[in-house]
Amino acid sequence: MAQKPNQRGATRESIKATKHNWPTRTSFSPSKYFRQHQTTLTESFMRLVHYPLASVMTVMVIAIALSLPGGLYVLLKNVQSVTDQWEQQSVITLYLFPNLEDTQALALSHRLSAQADIASVEYISKEEGLRYFERSSGYEQIMSALPENPLPIVLRVIPRQTVDITTLSSLQALRNQLAAQKEVEYAELDAQWLQRLANILSFGQRFVYALSVLLVVAVLLIVGNTIRMAVESRRDEVLVMKLVGATDAYIRRPFLYMGFWFGVLGGFFASLCILVLSWWVSAPAERLIDLYQSGFQLQTFNADEIILCLTISAFIGVFGAWIAVNRHIATIELQ
Amino acid sequence: MEIEFQRVGKKYESGQEALSQVSFHLQQGEMAFLTGHSGAGKSTLMKLMMMIERQTSGQILVDGVDLRTLSRRAIPHHRRRVGVVFQNHQLLLDRSVFHNVALPLLVSGADPQQIAKRVRAALDKVGLLDKEKYYPMALSGGEQQRVGIARAVVNKPQLLLADEPTGNLDPKLSAEIMNLFQEFNRVGVTVLVASHDLALVARMRHRVLTLNQGRMVNDGGFG
Ligand SMILES: Nc1ncnc2c1ncn2[C@@H]1O[C@H](COP(=O)(O)OP(=O)(O)O)[C@@H](O)[C@H]1O
Ligand SMILES: [Mg+2]
Repeated sequence: MAQKPNQRGATRESIKATKHNWPTRTSFSPSKYFRQHQTTLTESFMRLVHYPLASVMTVMVIAIALSLPGGLYVLLKNVQSVTDQWEQQSVITLYLFPNLEDTQALALSHRLSAQADIASVEYISKEEGLRYFERSSGYEQIMSALPENPLPIVLRVIPRQTVDITTLSSLQALRNQLAAQKEVEYAELDAQWLQRLANILSFGQRFVYALSVLLVVAVLLIVGNTIRMAVESRRDEVLVMKLVGATDAYIRRPFLYMGFWFGVLGGFFASLCILVLSWWVSAPAERLIDLYQSGFQLQTFNADEIILCLTISAFIGVFGAWIAVNRHIATIELQ
Repeated sequence: MEIEFQRVGKKYESGQEALSQVSFHLQQGEMAFLTGHSGAGKSTLMKLMMMIERQTSGQILVDGVDLRTLSRRAIPHHRRRVGVVFQNHQLLLDRSVFHNVALPLLVSGADPQQIAKRVRAALDKVGLLDKEKYYPMALSGGEQQRVGIARAVVNKPQLLLADEPTGNLDPKLSAEIMNLFQEFNRVGVTVLVASHDLALVARMRHRVLTLNQGRMVNDGGFG
């Protein structure tokens, strides 16, 4: 072992110089505080490196647990970006009360065409309706057998907005407004399949949320368990630190940083997983979607989402460690 | 540091009465030995001073402050003023001698240059300046004990407590260790050493406190 150059003279001096300068209580200083944090940050990382197998396993389990909801999120994002572009001409069909006079119906028709969010209104009289029915065969016999025309006056309202997933709700609001007109018996927005699609997507979203919550809990448990073992394996050190006057916060800190590293590394590898996976499926997926819609580009994790993923996972790591440390440090008491 | 015990009693949760009606006064800068048979309550008395255990009756005053008035958060700060050599809190085997000795300084957030300087000063005091890079397992029993002492004094404590510091060392090493404590006492540190080695204690010619079944039976000079 190499011995440092002889410092005996100097150190003796320093002992004498401060002999009666006992500090009674350490005061708070920001630079000291940051230095401690910085040291702990690097030390806690070195500690992970010290137990490579256990650390790699924990990080990988976290990465897998996080890449599942992350991947589903990306999938959902792509489905949404595709379906957002599916639109159709929207039509709201108004069935007016059968006893309504033609003049009243026409007045309504004019009133509605003047409305800003309506492009046009098509007036279908009872006779036109009947002719339409007769043309579209099958009903011919039945219709002519009836004593009088049973059909109501119908207004086909064409809103300015085309209907797609994003405008669905405002069109539904328009439908409701039209249905509330006193002349209107029933109003129908012709967008059933879009409604269904919207339902499926919101189901998918909730599914991803629920799965995320479950997996976040799983990650908390994994981090908590690893930290618990780390605390346990450093029992002697914790005791000695308490003996020489370490505060609880000081003892807790390296473990919280350990949780931080687990979280950040787990989040990093989860993001990497998602990037690699989406790159891998992008070519076939784009070819497939191109059949229906040109210019489709698969979306993956963007920078913001990666940062968000890292932040969330770091937070989960620290939180998991915090729970575990608080529970287990308390059980390690000097005696 | 000045210590005063006033009719202090300690009854463990098991019902064992380790100390009863213990009173004594240790002046600032004084050195004393604490003796008594095994189970007499020596370790318990030192744990009370470190607030590792709390007394069940009586008062302990440290520099005039009643320890019962200290909050949980104040305990670490109290402990930083006291250096201890306790049997069952030995060195960390996976840390170098330097790191072991540095621990009390790291814990109180001293700056790195100060730490290096003080650690070397403490190691120098116990004659182990050339062993700072060693790991405890590579040292002899006597050397390990001295590292423990260096750790106890590195923070320049006002009170030094040693519980059986010469436990299983041979007489020559034991005398060396005791001389070390005497040296620290000479620079103004209050020192209390628990030992059941009556012959050694007698040779040191200091005040001797004797416990028997948890009671202070003798508080006099030279054993
Ligand atoms: N944690 C404990 N719980 C219960 N009894 C204890 C505990 N520690 C010590 N004792 C008892 O208190 C008495 C004094 O012990 P101790 O202070 O260790 O004596 P000494 O250090 O003089 O040998 C003994 O009878 C011992 O069994
Ligand atoms: Mg004992």
